[in-house]
Amino acid sequence: MIETYGVTKIYPGGLVALKDINIKISKGEFVFIVGPSGAGKSTFIKLLFREELPTKGQIFFNGKNITRMKSREVPFLRRRIGIVFQDFRLLPEKTVYENVAFAMEVTEASSREIKKRVPYVLEKVGLADKAGAKPSELSGGEQQRVALARALVNNPDVLVADEPTGNLDPDTSWEIMKLLNEINKRGTTVVVATHARELVDGMRKRVLQLDKGALVRDEERGVYSNEA
Amino acid sequence: MRLRTFNYFFREAFISFARNRWMSLASIGAVASALVIFGSFLLLSVNFDHILKDVESQVEITAYLEDAADGSSIARLNAEISSISGVKQIRFVSKEAALEEFKQQVGKELLEGIDNPLPNSFRIKVENPQEVARVAGEVQKLQGIEEVKYGKGVVEKLFNIIYWVRVLGLAVMAVFAAVSIFIISNTIRLTVFARRREINIMKYIGATDWFVRWPFLLEGMMLGFIGSSVAVGILAGGYSYLYNVVKLNVPMISLIPAKEFYDYALGFLAIGMSLGAFGSSFSIRRFLHV
Repeated sequence: MIETYGVTKIYPGGLVALKDINIKISKGEFVFIVGPSGAGKSTFIKLLFREELPTKGQIFFNGKNITRMKSREVPFLRRRIGIVFQDFRLLPEKTVYENVAFAMEVTEASSREIKKRVPYVLEKVGLADKAGAKPSELSGGEQQRVALARALVNNPDVLVADEPTGNLDPDTSWEIMKLLNEINKRGTTVVVATHARELVDGMRKRVLQLDKGALVRDEERGVYSNEA
Repeated sequence: MRLRTFNYFFREAFISFARNRWMSLASIGAVASALVIFGSFLLLSVNFDHILKDVESQVEITAYLEDAADGSSIARLNAEISSISGVKQIRFVSKEAALEEFKQQVGKELLEGIDNPLPNSFRIKVENPQEVARVAGEVQKLQGIEEVKYGKGVVEKLFNIIYWVRVLGLAVMAVFAAVSIFIISNTIRLTVFARRREINIMKYIGATDWFVRWPFLLEGMMLGFIGSSVAVGILAGGYSYLYNVVKLNVPMISLIPAKEFYDYALGFLAIGMSLGAFGSSFSIRRFLHV
């Protein structure tokens, strides 16, 4: 469902973020992208939802070449991709329910669909009782669950998370990982960029290791690092 | 577009309106002043036009005859003047009739016992006021005409005034329109800035560019609409007041009744909304990178 061919990203100024990346991620997979800061994890994620365009190479999503996509098609690509960030990116003045519903309003879903779908997704991430709370009243882990609910509410083909546990303590991080695993088990492809060694080692999923922009390892049921 | 989405756009527009209260009021004030000034010049120019038509219809040529002219030369002149192109109406005023008229104007007693000094004359009306000068010139050339008089200069001056009122009105309007657009675009820029986080999130969750833009465009149009409504209110109130004052105190000047301007009000609202839309699209293009 995601295929990259010779993807290279050089930022203006000459920084080489990714070098000749060839990756194939199939539907239903759970993939970790690991590596130290500056290895190119975030750039890879940004290329997936077309925040950035590769300098060279092609990226296919569901068989469609997204590097050649017109910019007015990009919103519709992003509706197929649920995105979760390290800093949650919730709207502080909206309630949990409204934050999640917002993602559906943007796609011009009907009120009926929204009223049906939002409680369902909040229930799935275990926040049914917090629907009326503002993000500031929630813990970090709960806020990230709201972000997950928002990413899932439009039923995306793939969930992409960039350092989803970067701001969370180890216990909470584990809960988020278990939630991601459940989401994956229900059929959603999950791509997680992280440098949380314990989580990766504990999950034993496919691991793509990046180092200085190059793909140095692609291992099924892998751990964070072979050398350690 | 779904009704629900449209509601969302309106709600968002109102929220930022409330958030940037002072800038919003400044924008409304700018649009309102631009349109009040434009409207004043417009009313002035339309009324000048109207008054001019009035004056024009009163412009007559008076051709004084030589004292020597007798009945037959009067008849000849009458025929000759009538044949000049552009002459609408010609009326002979005898010495005696002229004196009677004069007596009525200055009072009988003053002229008692004075020999009639007034000459015979023709009063000539022309079809088109702009031809007064030409017709007067042709009449002057005729045999037996002593002197020709008409409201020379008055007509030309009025034409001139109207011209300058219009030029000035458009120039001032242009300046104020530019100021309105500038202030509105600044207001929208503040809104965009206050909501950059939200805009960013909207883009990540797949909002189309127009979905992001609409609330800002609506906000601008709303500012323009309110501003022009204020202007229409001020102009309507002010003009009705002026109309009544003039009607009571200077009855010979006839202004156009206020109700004949109702159609203009719609035009003003349209102009105000366009100013708003223009101002916000300016900011959207520059500061909203979607």
